[in-house]
Amino acid sequence: MSFPLFSSFLSRDKSVTNALAVKWASCTNVYPKPDMCECVGHVCVMYVAHRVSADHKDLIHDVAYDFHGQRLATCSSDQSVKVWDRNENSEWICTASWKTHCGSVWRVTWAHPEFGQVLASCSSDRTAAIWEEVVGESTDRQRTQSHWVKRTTLVDSRTSVTDVRFGPKHLGLVLAACSADGVIRLYEAPDIMELSQWSLQHELSCRLSCSCISWNPSCFRGHPPMLAVGSDDSSISSGGKVQVFEYNENTRKYGRVETLLMVPEPVHDLAFAPNLGRSCHLLAIASRDVRIIQLKPLRREGVLSQPVSPGRFETQQLAQFDGHGAQVWRVAWNATGTVLASSGDDGCVRLWKANYLGNWKCVGVLKGDGSPVQGDGAGSAQTVPGCANTSGGPITPISGFPILNGNHAIRNRLPCTSPYFLPPDDNLRSASRVNAVPLPVPHPLPPLPHPLPHSAGNRIPSHPEHRITRRMSSNIIWSSHDSANQ
Amino acid sequence: MSLLTSHARIVRHEFGTSLEELSRSGHRGTLTSHRDYLDVVVAGRNILKVFAIEEEAFVEKVNLRVGRRTSVNYSCSDVAWHQLDDNLLATAATNGAVVTWNLSRSSRNKQELLFAEHKRTVNKVCFHQAELHTLLSGSQDGSMKCFDLRRKDSVCTFNGQSESVRDVQFSPRDYFAFAASFENGNVQLWDLRRSDRCERMFTAHNGPVFSCDWHPEDRGWLATGGRDKMVKVWDMASARPRELFCVQTIASVARVKWRPERRYHLATCSMMVDHTINVWDVRRPFIPFAAFEEHRDVTTGIAWRLPHDPHLLLSGAKDCTLFQHIFKDAKRPADRANPEALCFGPRGDVAFAAKEGLSANDPARRALPGDRRNPFFFIRKAPEPYDASLTQQHSGSVCSVLNVFQRCDAKEKLNPLENESESFVELAQRYCLAGRPFAELCDHNARIAMELCRHQVAQTWLILKLLYAGGDASPSPALLPNGGIFCGKDGSSGLGGDGMSERGKSEGHGDGGLEEPNEETEGSDVENLTASVGLYAAAAGLYSGNGEEERLELLDQDTTTSDFPEFSLPPEAFALRHEIVDGPAGLEHLQTNGPDGPGSGDEDGTDEGMRSACQGKVGGSTAGLGITAAESVSLISVSQPLFGQTLPPEVFAPAVIAMLEFYAERGDVQSTVSTLIVLGEKASGGVDTLVQEHWYLSYLELLQRFRLWDVATQVIRLSTCAAISALNHDSTSLNLNCSSCRRALGAKGWLCDRCRRCASVCAVCHHAVKGLFVWCQGCSHGGHLKHMHDWLSASPHCPTGCGHLCEYT
Repeated sequence: MSFPLFSSFLSRDKSVTNALAVKWASCTNVYPKPDMCECVGHVCVMYVAHRVSADHKDLIHDVAYDFHGQRLATCSSDQSVKVWDRNENSEWICTASWKTHCGSVWRVTWAHPEFGQVLASCSSDRTAAIWEEVVGESTDRQRTQSHWVKRTTLVDSRTSVTDVRFGPKHLGLVLAACSADGVIRLYEAPDIMELSQWSLQHELSCRLSCSCISWNPSCFRGHPPMLAVGSDDSSISSGGKVQVFEYNENTRKYGRVETLLMVPEPVHDLAFAPNLGRSCHLLAIASRDVRIIQLKPLRREGVLSQPVSPGRFETQQLAQFDGHGAQVWRVAWNATGTVLASSGDDGCVRLWKANYLGNWKCVGVLKGDGSPVQGDGAGSAQTVPGCANTSGGPITPISGFPILNGNHAIRNRLPCTSPYFLPPDDNLRSASRVNAVPLPVPHPLPPLPHPLPHSAGNRIPSHPEHRITRRMSSNIIWSSHDSANQ
Repeated sequence: MSLLTSHARIVRHEFGTSLEELSRSGHRGTLTSHRDYLDVVVAGRNILKVFAIEEEAFVEKVNLRVGRRTSVNYSCSDVAWHQLDDNLLATAATNGAVVTWNLSRSSRNKQELLFAEHKRTVNKVCFHQAELHTLLSGSQDGSMKCFDLRRKDSVCTFNGQSESVRDVQFSPRDYFAFAASFENGNVQLWDLRRSDRCERMFTAHNGPVFSCDWHPEDRGWLATGGRDKMVKVWDMASARPRELFCVQTIASVARVKWRPERRYHLATCSMMVDHTINVWDVRRPFIPFAAFEEHRDVTTGIAWRLPHDPHLLLSGAKDCTLFQHIFKDAKRPADRANPEALCFGPRGDVAFAAKEGLSANDPARRALPGDRRNPFFFIRKAPEPYDASLTQQHSGSVCSVLNVFQRCDAKEKLNPLENESESFVELAQRYCLAGRPFAELCDHNARIAMELCRHQVAQTWLILKLLYAGGDASPSPALLPNGGIFCGKDGSSGLGGDGMSERGKSEGHGDGGLEEPNEETEGSDVENLTASVGLYAAAAGLYSGNGEEERLELLDQDTTTSDFPEFSLPPEAFALRHEIVDGPAGLEHLQTNGPDGPGSGDEDGTDEGMRSACQGKVGGSTAGLGITAAESVSLISVSQPLFGQTLPPEVFAPAVIAMLEFYAERGDVQSTVSTLIVLGEKASGGVDTLVQEHWYLSYLELLQRFRLWDVATQVIRLSTCAAISALNHDSTSLNLNCSSCRRALGAKGWLCDRCRRCASVCAVCHHAVKGLFVWCQGCSHGGHLKHMHDWLSASPHCPTGCGHLCEYT
């Protein structure tokens, strides 16, 4: 379906605006000053690198934010898991650290907070475990180290459990675990209050040693539950290394619906993008390179909501980046599924974003040790090896490629968060001692206060330079992409 | 490293029975080193055979189990081959017998001596490295015996005074010393000359110590493995045995063997569960350095084939196979382990943990920017166990660096667009979704979007307003600066043009034609600009034709061909549009309609855009121009009914729905849902309810992620989707007790029937609470949110004075 009116605005206004802005500025001799150039050249957002001294005795294999981004869990080969809480100064404080397994802990993942503060971990000791936080008595005001209680151990695997993921919230408390012998096991807690009871619901075989797993987070009722599994099998001959399984309502089983033959190399990580109302699914794959694959469910003609034969997909590779030099180890999406972060053997995190044409471009590099990235020239065009074109075309130099690292960033902190009240659903199992619940007394929500008086928001910045800066800064990413897309 | 070669290299032999123990042969000759150690003896409950190791296979040389009657004496639990004498073997039997064999005997029965002194199973036999005739045995009965093979019975008995002996090992350095490990977790150090008591004893493990092994080079290093899944390395040379290293494995450890020529390497196999043979670097105790995974059942015996070659490992298992492994083919869990961890926080934070030093060698690699496939990869992955540098690389433990990259604007709030999550929260909180007339809502939301530099979204709001509230679409002057997308760039011309609509009217017609040849020569890019510029003017109703002209002139005079790439748009940008074929007819209609319309200032903009577009079509012979023209015509034809007031709003529905879908596909579900709510029935009819539900749920999830609970509640309330509205009805029943008499409250909810008091009285201000009532779950006292907050931030005690220490989190 085409979209005549709005899309022309939407796709165009950026570049048009920017072009006109530059034009206007140049002909009226108010050419942007050097600092503005820098602003055009570099995205005006910086990352501040906060070194957290994790104090793990071996490699950290996984790090996971919780649903709200206020807590962090790390797991390591030293067989322990640590939980970090963000304090008012946005510093990360270790609030719990405990030995979880008898082997390397490969992955740790949070359940949705509706189910309480629950973690799952998996390890090379062939088990996966479910942990729940128990906060001490309310009498001790000092909130001491919370402790985490093992609720269950899932011992079905005969080999190392390589990944464990909680399913999307609307499926209930579901856990998928995959192991090196190529078996994916789906567990379910029938009673979400009883975390020690997990039943093995499905056992799927993908025949190749599994390395990673990802649920499709879509809550669309037309999308059946779906998960993708990546394999680190190293032989090219064993075919596609990413398999997609989907639940079939009729057979009540998961079936393989897709094998992505375009990924013949070992896959180390994969992640479905958060599906915020999209009709298709985006899957990022970390292999020798970063790939973004779009899975578009094929539907019956005309009926939008009815999925036809389940498992019919139109797969399309949207992007392939070669930036990390060698192996890419991890991929992660932001909350809206618009920015992809990948990390590889070069020790850098690269951020990828699609422009309005759907071309994915590198928009940032973060160094793992916070040291400056080479070629950190101000505003100068530079060739970024990471920005291979999706269409296999020549690598285009991206002017104004932002180099972000801790040393160059301005050290300011986020405003501290004021105390909040947990809502009822979050409060189900959390140990907060004060509840906020609307009383049955009828109380209509007051109309939202008008944030700004009608006139106050309309003041034009009087100085023309100021306005230019605002306009241009909003178009930075786009301008660089426009020039790159010729 | 392909699997094919690795299989070809591994010599494998299958037996009909499970293997208990194996031992490689002793010296064959001292000079021909490649002929060394060519035999292996395999012992089990039903097997005792000597095999020759050939290039591709094991070849059976001698079967020691001969005779019709299978004696229990041959049911072996352990076998040892003397290091100095090729023909001398000793086996330990499960019935307590220790048997020695002489392979040089000519008869079929090679058995030489039989010692039946132990009462129970003999777990271990061990030859002295230097003494030809000294044999040591350790038994389940708790005693160790030393035999002199020249005599028919034991020389002396060592009684450990503790439980069963699992392993005995002569020290390679101390002539008289041997170590013994016990089932109760003890390790004892004995002197051969003193049989009355041990030199030293310490508890090494929690549970049985199944195996111990002296380090071949380091004097005094003893490795022990036990049922507690630990492997420990002890320094026995110091006054008290000191634990040097501790390796935690996943299953109880059955055998430990130091790897020759590698000081820190230790091979282990497990007694149950785990079938792999792991080789550990004891300095990195968490991930095995190498692993052999060929066996399908529990490995029972391991032996390095040559005392000075670390690359050949023999192993036997309960799956009835004997393997010779080549170290090159081992899996390297330490190398395969993921060195990095990465996570994206909801607020745009990136948590990243990387192996220390992973990026340290980065500058050298980045020095070659053209080199995209970095050769470093091949170097690192190539299995080169012969390379000493590789072992150096693994020296010591490995650590990760954990960094949390938090977003912050370089210039305070200068560019909120970049901080997606911040602007999401701002928009969510400040959007006005209901309670006011439609046009006002649109204006309000557009202004807010504009303040946050979301120009697209702001423009969308304005267009929506124009489409659906077209009747009163006169742009309020207050909106002008923020509402127009062009105000920033060409503010002077746009603002100036406002008062000059008359002039613009005339010039708009006259100059448009004059400009045309210029545009043609400059190509389609300017056409695009012109068309869209005209369109903006038409849609926003802000600019007269005058503004257009000036803008075009600007472009004309500055645009050189070299400048083009800066602001030209590739044709794919317009792939979404459908074509309208009857362009000329529509244009005719517009041209006649335009000047006659009521609002002259607005029409001029439309006219201008249309004119240039029309002329672009006429003049443009290239395909690109044709697309441009057709597309801009189609745009105008959509917006045209605004002015004629002839078409009902349903005409826009496809475009609006496409807009909603556009935002959803782009991941901006906030815009989709907000416009959907504000549009209400106007748009929701055209969208499938399931899709709507999907949008709502997605937006709600995002709101919950950012803890915007009240916004989420409002969205649920305002949603037109039945499934979403029902969310607010889930689990809404509350059972309340009176805070004073602790009885269940009745139907009224706030008034206690019994004590005739209002149950929800604020403990601080003693007024009844309406709205949010906060209470402590411990003492059930509470009150207004703010009052409780203030009180508890000052005092830890309950404001009622009940003495409870309330916790406010």
